[in-house]
Amino acid sequence: MANSRDHLEKRCPKLGSVIAFSYCRTCGEDASPCGKIFDCWWEDFDITTYLKETLTEHAFNKLADSRPKPKLASILELIEEAKKRMNEQNG
Amino acid sequence: MGPKKILLTEDQMPRQWYNILADIKLNPPLGPDGNPIGPESLAPVFPMNIIEQEVSTERWIDIPEEVLGIYKIWRPTPLVRATALEKVLKTPARIYFKYEGASPPGSHKPNTAVPQAYYNKEFGIKKITTETGAGQWGSALSFACAQFGLECEIYMVRISFDQKPYRKNMMEAWGGKCIPSPSPATKVGREILEKDPNTPGSLGIAISEAIEAAVTDPSGKTRYSLGSVLNHVMMHQTVIGLEAKKQLEAINEYPDIIIGCAGGGSNFAGISFPFVLDKINGKQIEIYPVEPAACPTLTKGPFVYDHGDIARMTPLLPMHSLGHAFVPPPMHAGGLRYHGMSPTVSQLVSEGLIEAKSVTQLASYKAGVLLARTEGIIPAPETNHTLACVIDEANKAREEGKEKVILFNWSGHGLLDLAAYGKYFQGELKDFELSDAEMEKSEQVFANFPKPKLLKSR
Repeated sequence: MANSRDHLEKRCPKLGSVIAFSYCRTCGEDASPCGKIFDCWWEDFDITTYLKETLTEHAFNKLADSRPKPKLASILELIEEAKKRMNEQNG
Repeated sequence: MGPKKILLTEDQMPRQWYNILADIKLNPPLGPDGNPIGPESLAPVFPMNIIEQEVSTERWIDIPEEVLGIYKIWRPTPLVRATALEKVLKTPARIYFKYEGASPPGSHKPNTAVPQAYYNKEFGIKKITTETGAGQWGSALSFACAQFGLECEIYMVRISFDQKPYRKNMMEAWGGKCIPSPSPATKVGREILEKDPNTPGSLGIAISEAIEAAVTDPSGKTRYSLGSVLNHVMMHQTVIGLEAKKQLEAINEYPDIIIGCAGGGSNFAGISFPFVLDKINGKQIEIYPVEPAACPTLTKGPFVYDHGDIARMTPLLPMHSLGHAFVPPPMHAGGLRYHGMSPTVSQLVSEGLIEAKSVTQLASYKAGVLLARTEGIIPAPETNHTLACVIDEANKAREEGKEKVILFNWSGHGLLDLAAYGKYFQGELKDFELSDAEMEKSEQVFANFPKPKLLKSR
């Protein structure tokens, strides 16, 4: 079931190239689905039912309720993470 | 019949960008700690002259001569009257578009890549890093860096890197270093590759790598660049709308409707913000950002009582629905759903100065093909959303018998996106339909719900 739609392909509006559905359902953090997966696939099949059947209830609700962070806030977080990694590397 | 193309001379190019932050109020961006973000916290990734632009509330910002000099490679771009489209649609509307596909990388992106490269150079920066999906932004920044003798390092999402080798070649032709992401070049990339050497990557990973590369450069001479969303990016793009204004003035026209697609917001902002200023000052003008359509509840779903939310917290309401669990895509304030929409564009929607429209993927490709066969240019897929809305408005003008003037932004050509057109021509895009089995399953959700009466007021 989990990979029953993996052969489907479409243009990803974030990347700007054609990708397979398998990418959309695994390209998020820790192999979770992309946050735009509902928006991109509803025209092709019942993506909500599909995800409800293939994800845990917690994972589905987390995805459905997800909201993007403001860009500047996410850049700040990435700066802090990069500094942390640098400090770890430098011992 | 007037001219097909309305051209400006280089001397007529706008000398200032328009900064919409002078005319709208915006909630300050908050950091992870919940406090407003101070300019200094962005200094590890952006040069201070760009940060100053990001927070500036000056209405007009001078375009440096050095930037104008590079803009002249392809600017001013033509304003084209879509006469062949008007004829096919039999519309009384006069339709004009700004053709931004005329730039060297083929899109509107260098309008901001060039000034960003310039300000980095002025600040003493030697190298700029960025991320790119399929390469449109990476190509634009490579081109811009080449003009100012800067190094450019682009982290390109591996799945796209493998699919679009010619984009890498394009970046390299301009001297950019295109690195498939995740890469061994950064700590975050190494950690991800260690877990999964075959990972296709993601934009999130590529951004992390680009920022790490900028922040950890011991020389302090590397910064990061972003091609959408932020205020200074929107402002640089206003050169599009400012040129269009002059071109329309030259033929005594003024738009009734302005349309642009709303991805990260920059091409829409570019064509529309200078006219938003006119609207704020009392002009009657409709301004439409266009986005992909959300779930088809109204046309496809049965009329039932349903909860309005996935958590079933709201009361049961009569509505067209495919089930309360079917429609969970995040809905942003004012109707723009795109993850990562520009705050300025979102603010204009919430104030009612612009009105978001949506089109389906099939309608957008159909429109793109019609424009290719009439006006001759194959549009970038994101431009196709704009085109579908333009056609809707032109048809509306015909039905109403009104001679409306429609202006839209043709943000780029689609010559590097033909695989997406291939999917359309092979019939792989279709209007949404639930099979009987799927519909039955969907309707099971409502089995124990009360059924609304089909009332008729007239």
